[in-house]
Amino acid sequence: MTTVESYAKVTHLETPRGLIGGAPIAHDAAEAERKYRREPGFPVPLLIAPATLWLVIFLFLPLISIFVFSFWKSTGHGMTPAFTLEHYQAFFASEGFFDPSKPDFLTPSVFIRTLWSTFRFTITVMAICLALAYPLAYFLSMQVENFKWQLTLFLLAMVPFWTSYLIRAVAWLPMLGRHGLINEFLVSFGIVEEPVSFFLYSEFSYTMALVQLYVVLAVGPIFFSLAKIDRTLLEAARDMGATPFQIFREIIAPLSLPGVAIGMIFIFVMVMGEFATAVVVYGGKSSTTGTVILNYYAIANYPFAAVNAFMLMVAMMIGVVIILRLVDIRKEL
Amino acid sequence: MAYEGLRQGKWSRRSFMKATAAGLATGALAGASFPRPAAADAGLRTIGLGVSIINEIQEKATKDLGFPVVGQALGYGDMFSKMLNQNDQYEIAEGYFNDMRVMGPAKVWQPLDTKKLKDWDKVTDLCKTGRLTPEASVGQGDAPYKFMWCDENGNKVQGPSRYIIMTPTFHNADSIGYNPKATGRPIESWGELLNKDWRGKVALLNVPQIGTMDAAMAIEALGLKKFGDKGNMTKAEIDFLVDYLIPLKKQGHFRAFWENFGQSVNLMVNGEVVLESMWSPAVTAIRAEGVPCVYAFPKEGMRGWHGGHAISAKVQGKQLDQAYEYINWWLDGWAGAFVSHQGYYHSIPDNVKKHLDPADWDFWYMGKPAAKDLPDPFGTIIIKKGEVREGGSYWNRYSKIAVWNSLMDENNYLVKRWTEFLTA
Repeated sequence: MTTVESYAKVTHLETPRGLIGGAPIAHDAAEAERKYRREPGFPVPLLIAPATLWLVIFLFLPLISIFVFSFWKSTGHGMTPAFTLEHYQAFFASEGFFDPSKPDFLTPSVFIRTLWSTFRFTITVMAICLALAYPLAYFLSMQVENFKWQLTLFLLAMVPFWTSYLIRAVAWLPMLGRHGLINEFLVSFGIVEEPVSFFLYSEFSYTMALVQLYVVLAVGPIFFSLAKIDRTLLEAARDMGATPFQIFREIIAPLSLPGVAIGMIFIFVMVMGEFATAVVVYGGKSSTTGTVILNYYAIANYPFAAVNAFMLMVAMMIGVVIILRLVDIRKEL
Repeated sequence: MAYEGLRQGKWSRRSFMKATAAGLATGALAGASFPRPAAADAGLRTIGLGVSIINEIQEKATKDLGFPVVGQALGYGDMFSKMLNQNDQYEIAEGYFNDMRVMGPAKVWQPLDTKKLKDWDKVTDLCKTGRLTPEASVGQGDAPYKFMWCDENGNKVQGPSRYIIMTPTFHNADSIGYNPKATGRPIESWGELLNKDWRGKVALLNVPQIGTMDAAMAIEALGLKKFGDKGNMTKAEIDFLVDYLIPLKKQGHFRAFWENFGQSVNLMVNGEVVLESMWSPAVTAIRAEGVPCVYAFPKEGMRGWHGGHAISAKVQGKQLDQAYEYINWWLDGWAGAFVSHQGYYHSIPDNVKKHLDPADWDFWYMGKPAAKDLPDPFGTIIIKKGEVREGGSYWNRYSKIAVWNSLMDENNYLVKRWTEFLTA
């Protein structure tokens, strides 16, 4: 192979993106060598056995049984093995669905609407979390020079995670309530005459609480992927006359995408499965698919609870796949 | 070192599996926080709600009976599913007659022989015939007397019979709690729950089966609709109810839907609501916080519920004798006296009287003005001298049960529409 050919091969690997272009990628063979060399010593089965056993017993078997139970028949006080699609029908089709004589024949069932509103709300929370977490992580990794300070501030951002989830949710009550801190302040300074109601038991408080509960899940991964960026790249870009915005758009943003994706997956999965926070700070005034599962579980209609659980799982998987499609984490890491 | 063992292949596949199994078992045991009595036949495990599972009660039983009684208080959903699905994990179920439509046919409990129940004759007629006093109304819904009697195989029968599925013990009737200072006038009707005067300051209980019944009481009180049986509504009735509630919710009528006792207390203590459907001990808890609270006695009647003690179908031998001993201990009244300070009643009032201070008895059971300051079960003064319990005596209150907590035939449809209501 001539020099020119090999150079062409290297540069060809990644079509240059934007002004500064992609970094040259290591040679295929070397890459393969680096990836697949196994450290000798531990027998592989021993290494993977605990996690595999754990996952099979506590994840795969339960998931499979949820799927199987969703076809069983409900007896009113339990379920019996059967193969019936009636629960799926109940999930998708409300009364009069696809019956042209009914006025609401195109209205999806309340369970689909609940799943949809759960999804929509999750996206909102993710967007707000990203908007808050990214600048914070950027500040920590790019602006704080001293490593000690970086670590200290990062741990400080994690402090809320040291208390229990429930306490963090409940702590909003004395803050946002009709006689809460904010309202006392507003009233005593004459900004409002009557305490403001919408702070608590509203979509506002629900969003606030969820963002506060989960934003840290995004800060961590974004911080790490930003911290990993090779500073010489930024220097080189500056030397070649790139503006700060260009540097951000063409180097920092693409390279931090894996962190963003991981953080978003965390938040997506957590918020989709939410049901407890709504009780505390939304006063139970909305239903999530999690609530629906609980409600049907509570009346021993396990197959229908299983259908909802399965559909929630499908929705989560679709969401995670979409995120992974947008960002190829394996490649970017 | 384990690592050395691994290196030298000392860990055979079998010992590895054994170790893993042991690890899993330890993990599983650690996860189940239920302390098991040392030997299988020495002592009882009892499960229920915080209504009857209170440390003081099971400790006293342990002391009096001479064998350990370990209680586990669960949330409603967990209690329900544990009672139904894991009857090898408890000996005693302190359950509720409104779950009997599920627990009865599931045969998770064994028929109880009333001949083995001391003082069975002294148990009032409330669960035997449905009427505490001859002139009392039976009430709509799943009245306990319809579900208590069974044959020796546990099949439901029309009473009376020698066998019962659950021994009736603690019970009460629920209504609306309100802050008289904030409302400025007494609350005397369920209709007030939907009164526009209290827009944004009302809370309902977020249990579909009970929340809808309270709302149905309100709708009926307002004269909007007459329900055939509020304890067993038809689809059309459920539709009417939910379709009426959804616009109200959209207008912001409901401040919150509470799911547990603590929430209902906080809502009123923090001034978020002025009236809400409530349980009796919440009223005493709110008063203990220094916030005025009255438990209304609506003119339409109250919503009753009845708890009791059942024995798991798996229990036999010595444990079965112990289980009967524990139930007989409950019937003897000490525990009933203990919970009466929270406003709960007991199926043998005469036995409770033995264990109660006369002033407490007169206030809680007889509906007389408090002769002195009265405490809650844990010693905090919650009733000031001279106060009177709303609704009068036990016998007067139970003469007018409008409806009992129930599981409806259209339960699935009810939960579906309730979900729609909450999502709206």
